[in-house]
Amino acid sequence: MGRLIVMAAKDLRLLSRDKFSLFWVLVFPLLMALFFGAIFSSEGADVARLNIAAVNESGTAAAAGLIEQLEKSSALSVRRMPRDSAEALVAAGRLVAYVAIGEPQKGTHTMGPWEPPSIEIGIDPARKAEAGYLQGLVTEAYFTRLQSTMTNAAQSRQWIHTGLAGLDSARSLPGKQRQVLKDLLVALDNYNMTFDSGSQKGPSPFADLNIRMTQITGRAEYPHSSFEITFPQALLWGLLGVTFAFAHSIVGERTVGTWLRLRVAPVSRAQILAGKALASFVACVTVSIFLMLVGRVLFGVRLTNLLGLAVAIVSCGVCFSGLVMLISVLGKTERSVAGAGWGILLVMSMIGGGMIPLMVMPSWMLALSNFSPVKWGILSLEGAIWRGFSLTHMMLPAGILLAVGVIAFTAGASILSRADG
Amino acid sequence: MIQADNLRKRYGALTAVDGISFEVRSGETFGLLGPNGAGKTTTLNLLVGTLTPDGGSVSINGETDPTNASVRQQIGYAPQAIALYGELTAEENLTFLGRLYGLSARQLRERARQALDLTGLSDRRQDRVRTFSGGMKRRLNLACALIHDPPVLLLDEPTVGVDPQSRNLIFDKIEWLRQQGRTIVYTTHYIEEAQRLCDRVAIMDHGRILALDTVGRLIEQHGGKSVIEAELQEAPADPAGLPGVIEGARFRLETDRPLEELARLAGLGLRFRTLRLDQADLEVVFLNLTGRRLRD
Repeated sequence: MGRLIVMAAKDLRLLSRDKFSLFWVLVFPLLMALFFGAIFSSEGADVARLNIAAVNESGTAAAAGLIEQLEKSSALSVRRMPRDSAEALVAAGRLVAYVAIGEPQKGTHTMGPWEPPSIEIGIDPARKAEAGYLQGLVTEAYFTRLQSTMTNAAQSRQWIHTGLAGLDSARSLPGKQRQVLKDLLVALDNYNMTFDSGSQKGPSPFADLNIRMTQITGRAEYPHSSFEITFPQALLWGLLGVTFAFAHSIVGERTVGTWLRLRVAPVSRAQILAGKALASFVACVTVSIFLMLVGRVLFGVRLTNLLGLAVAIVSCGVCFSGLVMLISVLGKTERSVAGAGWGILLVMSMIGGGMIPLMVMPSWMLALSNFSPVKWGILSLEGAIWRGFSLTHMMLPAGILLAVGVIAFTAGASILSRADG
Repeated sequence: MIQADNLRKRYGALTAVDGISFEVRSGETFGLLGPNGAGKTTTLNLLVGTLTPDGGSVSINGETDPTNASVRQQIGYAPQAIALYGELTAEENLTFLGRLYGLSARQLRERARQALDLTGLSDRRQDRVRTFSGGMKRRLNLACALIHDPPVLLLDEPTVGVDPQSRNLIFDKIEWLRQQGRTIVYTTHYIEEAQRLCDRVAIMDHGRILALDTVGRLIEQHGGKSVIEAELQEAPADPAGLPGVIEGARFRLETDRPLEELARLAGLGLRFRTLRLDQADLEVVFLNLTGRRLRD
């Protein structure tokens, strides 16, 4: 055991002095987590805003009010312009869409300010998702504007009077219906008159909708921030960095000759390999703890299941320590191992969720990801962070990681033994 | 001390070691001399158990399994490649290896100091090895083989690629180690190293031992005659009574014992204006045994 620790300590010391490897093991994953976490973060990000043009073709105060309401939306970036410019910019792809507000539709009944304006959304038909989203935002703006008007007693009364006048001239409306509407507006007007006319404020039947927000903390199946997705990904990148660094160091020992010196020493080949595995395992666990601590302390990544997280980290460490051994025998020179190693590790990462989060993967890719230990590593970490995995749930990813680690180590050690003659 | 019996090792179609047998006696410096690819390094690897022989056996101090930890503990091995960790300091390299050999902290400090002193690297003990010159790395490579104070040293071409200063230092230290009673197996393709350092030399080629004996006997048996060429101060009055060929004042003699012959000629009253002695060496021995030069 003592010799095992001596060899592991030597490898860790060498790793700590290799600035290039340290960058890939610690700095690069952290940068990945921060960069993509910041990009995908919903807090203060402008990337979700739709760039649209607003065209006021009616010139009415109601249309202007609606455009003002659209401009207040945090989901929209609105530029006012004439229809020609708006159409040109949308056609050129520089704006997502335009919203043109025209005269109220001339119908048989005129309700004055309550009469909905004519709204046209100009958008590329291929942008189905944005079209639906924009439609919702415009509808929201219209009703928000209407609500705002109704909660202002003075303005509401003015609109009621205009509406009453409009009803008088709406001859096409059946008399009975016209009378009911007039009664409704008069009743509303009377109600508004009960307010303190000076303040123009007071309780109103159209007061703000009171929406109560309740946090449900018992279920944690969704990430609370983008960092809860990017930190598990980054951790796996760190483990890939460790795997590469140690695989490279093993083949380096063989080409430089220190491997021979180790084999001449009074230690068995099994002890040498175990020493390497121990060093890479310690490095994996250290990197994992470091990144998780940074995520927890600086970015609020929840660690909802500490025991599960420990299981995940240990499983990942075993898995990638085993892969170290297998990758180190993919070639006989450092260059060949570097090429083959990065190739395999990158593919593992690509299909395993190291680049595209598992939760947004298409189904075919999710099926393919089952063949990558990166997927099971991320899944186990996410299970401990936000997926709410119990230890029973954790058994599948952890078991797969442990199995991959043991098989890869055995295969690598066997190939290495044969290569040593 | 070390016994190799009919050792064989093949790599596919290539026979690297082809049934060699030899014995290395306790306290002697035994040379394996041969060109690159002769099988010297493979032989060392078979001796130390890092390669498994296809046939034959090895015995070190009566122990037939060289992978046994007690056998490894007795062997110090300096590989031909500079087998050091460049990002560790000289002292860290030594202490790491020393720990593998089970040295205590006090022993480590003492042995590392001795090994560094012996190889002239004490003032660079805290420097990382990657900053060392080739000669310094070679010396540290040797120091690493000495860290656990082994009675047996296997030195595989320990002076390849070093500057003359480091080479001389390494020679001096190996001679000192020989005087201390270490058993040394020394591989080289340099004639002068084998002649200077080795008590006995096995000449290897194509995985076989062509001849094995002391340097003097090898030359005597396989080197051919030495040639004495001289210009005499005056032509002898009776050339027929003298050995060799005499043409006027020019003298030429082929002999197995050049020094004895020179003494005899001086006793006969010959006086030399110039004298040249072409004495056979291991290069000639190798040439005579294989039909080609050692460095062809």
